[in-house]
Parts: sequence; structure tokens; C-alpha cells
Amino acid sequence: MFFLTLMDLLRIPLVGTLLTKRHARTLLQIPVFIISAAMIFHGLFGPQLAPRNLATTVTWVHFRGALVLVLLLAGNFFCLACPFMLVRNLARKFFHPVRNWPRRLRNKWLSIGLFIAMLFLYEWLDLWASPWWTAWLIIAYFAGALLIDAVFKHATFCKFVCPIGQFNFVASTVSPFEVAVRDHDVCDRCATKDCIRGVREVEAPLVTIQRGCELALFQPRKAGNVDCTFCLDCVQACPYDNVGIISRVPAMELVPDPMRSGIGYFSKRKDLAALAIVFGFGALLNAFGMVSPIYAFEQWLAKLFHVNTEFPVLASVFALILVIEPLLLIGVATWITRVWGGSKRPWLSVAVRYSYALVPIGFGIWLAHYSFHFLTGLYTFIPVTQSAFVDFGWAILGQPHWGLSGLSPNVVQLFEFGFVTLGLLGSLSVSYSIAVTEEVVHPVRVFIPWAMLSLLMAAAAFWLLTQPMEMRGIVLGSG
Amino acid sequence: MVALCACLVFVQACRHQNKSPDLTFAHDISPQPPRVGKVTITLNIKDASGAPVSRARLNLEGNMSHAGMAPVFAETRETAAGQYQSSMELSMAGDWNVTVHATLSDGRKLDHEFEIRGVEP
Repeated sequence: MFFLTLMDLLRIPLVGTLLTKRHARTLLQIPVFIISAAMIFHGLFGPQLAPRNLATTVTWVHFRGALVLVLLLAGNFFCLACPFMLVRNLARKFFHPVRNWPRRLRNKWLSIGLFIAMLFLYEWLDLWASPWWTAWLIIAYFAGALLIDAVFKHATFCKFVCPIGQFNFVASTVSPFEVAVRDHDVCDRCATKDCIRGVREVEAPLVTIQRGCELALFQPRKAGNVDCTFCLDCVQACPYDNVGIISRVPAMELVPDPMRSGIGYFSKRKDLAALAIVFGFGALLNAFGMVSPIYAFEQWLAKLFHVNTEFPVLASVFALILVIEPLLLIGVATWITRVWGGSKRPWLSVAVRYSYALVPIGFGIWLAHYSFHFLTGLYTFIPVTQSAFVDFGWAILGQPHWGLSGLSPNVVQLFEFGFVTLGLLGSLSVSYSIAVTEEVVHPVRVFIPWAMLSLLMAAAAFWLLTQPMEMRGIVLGSG
Repeated sequence: MVALCACLVFVQACRHQNKSPDLTFAHDISPQPPRVGKVTITLNIKDASGAPVSRARLNLEGNMSHAGMAPVFAETRETAAGQYQSSMELSMAGDWNVTVHATLSDGRKLDHEFEIRGVEP
């Protein structure tokens, strides 16, 4: 614990030196942009067989796996290196947006819808099997970031639209590092508030020479990682070198309920709670799509509804797992909290407050799923890259070594069980801490229904992990 | 951006094509339905006149529909004129895409693809 509370990544030699450079973000974004361009190119013009294409291999095997592992071990560094923002920042040299994002859209509802749409498209269009669609998805992200941030001020795309960003914001609540103030006394004495306002030209105060936080997170009142893209603008802007990337106890930011800069109170953010719920149950849904029983279930639903197209069946599966199941389970847990636990809070308030406790188990399931693909296909990018050069008649990397794959699935399964268990322990810890902090009458009775909910989700995950995997593109007709 | 698009079209146009439309490939898989483990793949190749294509060297490459899976490879042997048989180890349930890399007796090389759908666990 002593180690955790003292570590500041920006104080570590080399790492700190690199990250505090003025153009550190751009330096990290450029290679990711080049990789993205190669993925788009190969996705559109390379072989349309997913295991042989960079678009599908890097996106669905390496990017997702590396993303969750970096979130687990460090923080939201993928948003830091986001290539969409590189293009957007270049475009902003020519476009100077003057509009504000509409007030009624300044919440997570739109991005929750987009996140669900992404999950749906992934299953419906078999994105994992289609280099062409995957390439267009990457193009759509670039176009979306460019278009929205060309019209609207600040980091509108990141904060209110980007589904990957929302995933990262929620997942990074369990990360061990946070961009945070080193010494609050320094902030108390600060008169310029450059971390939020930006650094202005002395002679021309309307000219910004270093922007402050575009996501409206005022460092002295920022609590946790939600909405933080690790862009490090605040680090650059602070004239006192008082912002670091500081270690903390993972997931514990989900327990207290202070007024958070740029966020407000967790307990009053129904949209954030809904995002946490979709994050948690979406993890189960996404993993369910990979195992054999989903196909039998879809066939059964198709017979029940007398349909032979996938769209209505898939929509039903989504409604069941992302709407009906959470409503039922969280509804029951909330009812027990009030009736047996003696909580006097309103129904919705209880549901919102404790939904955040589902984030660690949700993250554990995402981690188990994505790390499986990442670790079992760890080296596959090597032959795919070699093959990409061969495809275009330029075999500079030699002939593809198709024998390279990754770790054995049996070994990786041990990691998967470990990640789900870790997530479960996190959720139990968070729900217990919330109950103890807030429920003075019967904290243990309040804890039990939420612990049961986390256990149920973990049990579902363990069941999924023991099912035979089945990578099938089309079961029913598309449409 | 225009230059990049032109470059993409040029590179695409220059790509080496291995397809050979004058040959007919027919395949048969056993057992049916296919299951995880060894399956026997029988290929019949005929030329444009319907005559069997003999003395070809065929290598099979099986890929899953999901990225990140190493391909499986198998060799074939000619069991009758124009008929080739192979035993391939399918390591996972789901859809497989099989590419036949063929070298004909006259040295021509070509690829042919077919799918094995719904391999059961």
C-alpha cells in the first residue's frame, strides 16, 4: 500500500521524461496512426480472410487485448495515444469550432447507445470475420472524431460520443494509476488555474499557447479516472509541475461520492450508472457470442418467433441480456436493500449508487475474454504482417511463418479464471465499502444482495469460460 | 488523399492473382456433420473438358473465421485420377475456410477456396 500511494509515473526516469515532453502525445499517436492506416489499407485491399488480414487481426486480437491489459496494469494510455485525436488536432489548425455541444446531449446516453450499437454491429455484421467492415469501422471513427470536433468546441467526441472512450473511462476506474494533483496546497495557492483554462499568451490573453483540460476536469476537484483521456494537457499547463500520474488503490474511486469536477455526483448520474450496467452485462453478452450455446439459443428463438433472419433474433438476445436481465436482477437487489437492509433511499437512488459496484466484475469478464484472444493469438501479427507485404509483392519481411500463434488455450484459461475472480473480489469490495460507508443500520444486509448479484455474474462468466468456443459467422440469414 | 487513393487502386490492380477459372473443384467432407478433430477431405479436380486433373500437388490450409487463430495445414495424396484425399485436424468448432494451394503437373500454381460451415464441438 505504501508503494501504491507513493508512485508517480512522471517521476520515473525515461518514462517520466518521455511523457512530460511537450509533444509526447503526438509522438505516441504517430505510430498508432501509421498502424491504423496500414490496417485500413489491408482491410480494404488485402485478403478478405480475417486471420490473414491486419485490420481484423490487429483490431480484434491485439488492440482489444492490449487495451484491457494496459488498463489493468496502468491506466487509460490508449486514449493518450488515440490516432483519431491526432487527425482531429491537425484539422483544428484549419477549423476553429465555435459551437458548444447541445446541453441535452451533455451526458452519456448517446454514447451508451453507440456502445450498444457497436456491440450489436459486431455480432450482426460478424465484424471479427470481416476485414472490409473492420476497415470501414476504423474510417468511421476517424470521420466521426473529425466531423464532431470540427463543429463543436472542446473534446466533445471523447467526452460525449466515442464508445471506445466510454469503455476506457469506465474500465479505468479499476486502473492502478490516475492523473492527479501531487500537492493540494499548491493548488490552493494557485491563482491562474492553467490546468483548466490553459496557458495564455501574456500579450494576447485570447491566444492559448497550451490548452487546459478539454474535458472540463479541474485538477484540484478531479476525483478518479472517469472522463480522463490521460492527454496530459493539465501536466503541460500546470506552471508548478504539480500534476502527476499517481498510483492509487484500484476501483476504490467507485466508493466515495464527492462532487467531482466535470462529472458531478456519481449517485446523481443515472447515465453513468447505466453505462456501468451496460459495461458489466455487455461483457457477458460479448463473451456469450463466442461459445456454442449461443447458436442453439438463437435457433430456438428463431423457431419461437417464426423468423429466419438474424436481426430480430439478435435484437431479442440484446434486449434480454442488456435490458431485461439487469432490470430484473438490479430490481431485486434494490428491493432487498430497501426491505431487508432497511435503506431509506429512493429506489432509483439505491440502484444507481450500487450499480457502480458491477464495474470490477464487468472488467474482469472483458479482461478474461479479450486476453484470451490476445494471448492465444499473441504472435499472429507477425505472419499476417509478413503476408501483407507478400500480398503486395514486396516480401521484405520474408515468407509468413504461419506456425506462430501464442500461448496454449489451456494455459490462458487459468488467466481467465484469475481475471474473473479478481473482478469478483473487486466488486465485493466496492459494494461492501459503499454499504459500510452509507448504510448505517444494516450494512451487511445491504451488502448481501449486491454481493449475490456479483457472484451470479461471476458464475455466468465461469460457465461461459468452460463452454466450447465456436467461431461461426452466419447461423441465420442476414437481414 | 487523392494520391493515396490512386496509389491504393494501382497497388490493387498490380496484385498477383492465382485464380484459375478453367478448372473445376468439387469437395466432400466426412464425417457429416463435421466435428472438431480429424476430418477427411476429398477433392475432385476436372479441367474445362471434364477430364480429371492428375499429378497435381495439393496443400490445404484451414483458417477459422476469427483472427488470431493459427492456420492448420494438410497435404493430400492422389487416390484416383483427379481425386485427392487429405486428413485435416480441425482444432475448434465453428466455420472454417479451406484454401487449396495447387501446383499442377505443368508447373502452374493456383489457389481455390471453400468453406466448412458449422463444425461441431
